[in-house]
Amino acid sequence: MRNNDFEFKMTLPFMTPILDDIEQRSLSPLSSLREYENYWMVEFDLPMVGSENINVIFNQNTITVEAKLKETYSEEKLGKITKFEYFKKSVSLPGKIDSKKITSKFEKGRLEIKIPKKIDGTSIKIN
Amino acid sequence: MSFLLPTSVEENLMNITKPDPQENTLLVGFPSNGLVGTFSISYLIHHLKMKYVGEIDVKDLPAALFVEEGKILGPIRVYNKKNIFIVISEVPFNQYLAEGFAYAAHKFCQKNGIKKIIIVSGMGSINQSKETLKLYGLVTDQILENILYNNEIPKFLEGNIFGVDAAIISVFRKLKIPVLILYAECHPFFPDPEASIIAIETLAKILDVQIETQDIQNRMDKLRIQYRNLMEETIRTLQHNQEQGTRAPQIYR
Repeated sequence: MRNNDFEFKMTLPFMTPILDDIEQRSLSPLSSLREYENYWMVEFDLPMVGSENINVIFNQNTITVEAKLKETYSEEKLGKITKFEYFKKSVSLPGKIDSKKITSKFEKGRLEIKIPKKIDGTSIKIN
Repeated sequence: MSFLLPTSVEENLMNITKPDPQENTLLVGFPSNGLVGTFSISYLIHHLKMKYVGEIDVKDLPAALFVEEGKILGPIRVYNKKNIFIVISEVPFNQYLAEGFAYAAHKFCQKNGIKKIIIVSGMGSINQSKETLKLYGLVTDQILENILYNNEIPKFLEGNIFGVDAAIISVFRKLKIPVLILYAECHPFFPDPEASIIAIETLAKILDVQIETQDIQNRMDKLRIQYRNLMEETIRTLQHNQEQGTRAPQIYR
């Protein structure tokens, strides 16, 4: 057995700060962006969500995920209760992408979006 | 669950001293992959109704205090019940702080006659097996091999350990205090209470205590939301470690 994926051998992803919107009652989900040779992998942590309530919008190089929670999530701080009903977050991709070949899957409350890179250029002849 | 101890180690087990289950044991948890250590150790404190007995001070720890029911608490706290001691950190460590933490924990062990340490951590795996999450054990001293064997914990046989875990294990190895590290396979970047349940169940077997995991199972989704900030902060600390630290060379095979 080789525990190849262990801890710091993998490149840590780009994580964006968590900014909940109290007025819009939306939580900012944790997300990670990892770069591979031919694609980007964007992952969102969406607990308390069913796949039928997830909406993914792709615009230019930005992916926005909106998801309705199965039940209202409440947080209490200093006696004040704040209620949330949605997850919402946008993630910008740093490179050109092939939007026609994007695939996604939702498992254990985690949404994975695989975004192929757009590879254009000319090959160079080697003498 | 398959048992992966190589034959040679199984043979050696016949000759080693069995650890005394009643001797003082220290459990250690701190924020790392999947927040496995944080979830499982907190759960144990709560469910075993352990008593808060003090705090551990580590030099250069960022200023942070926690208030619980009007009581001010430091970030690294100590709990006790019978022969079980727990040290839990609420803040993630960088490599430098991790070493300071390990030395402080060792001093605590010396003062309290603690003979073995169990660390609970997460093994970040992107390709987690879909159905069954796994837990692996690693020991720094042969005397603890029996714990792996008796509890059918597969041994972490090959791989690399970097950063905070490596810093802590290195200090304990140097100071020659036996350590068992339980690595639960988990999501590397998101809180993973599901992986923590495996760690809790394994700890319950090792410590020979009854721990019902239904409560954490019911709250798994809410915990993932609740602990977003700590997870983000932990990843940021790990990233900082990675940028600053040197990488060990790969061993050619």
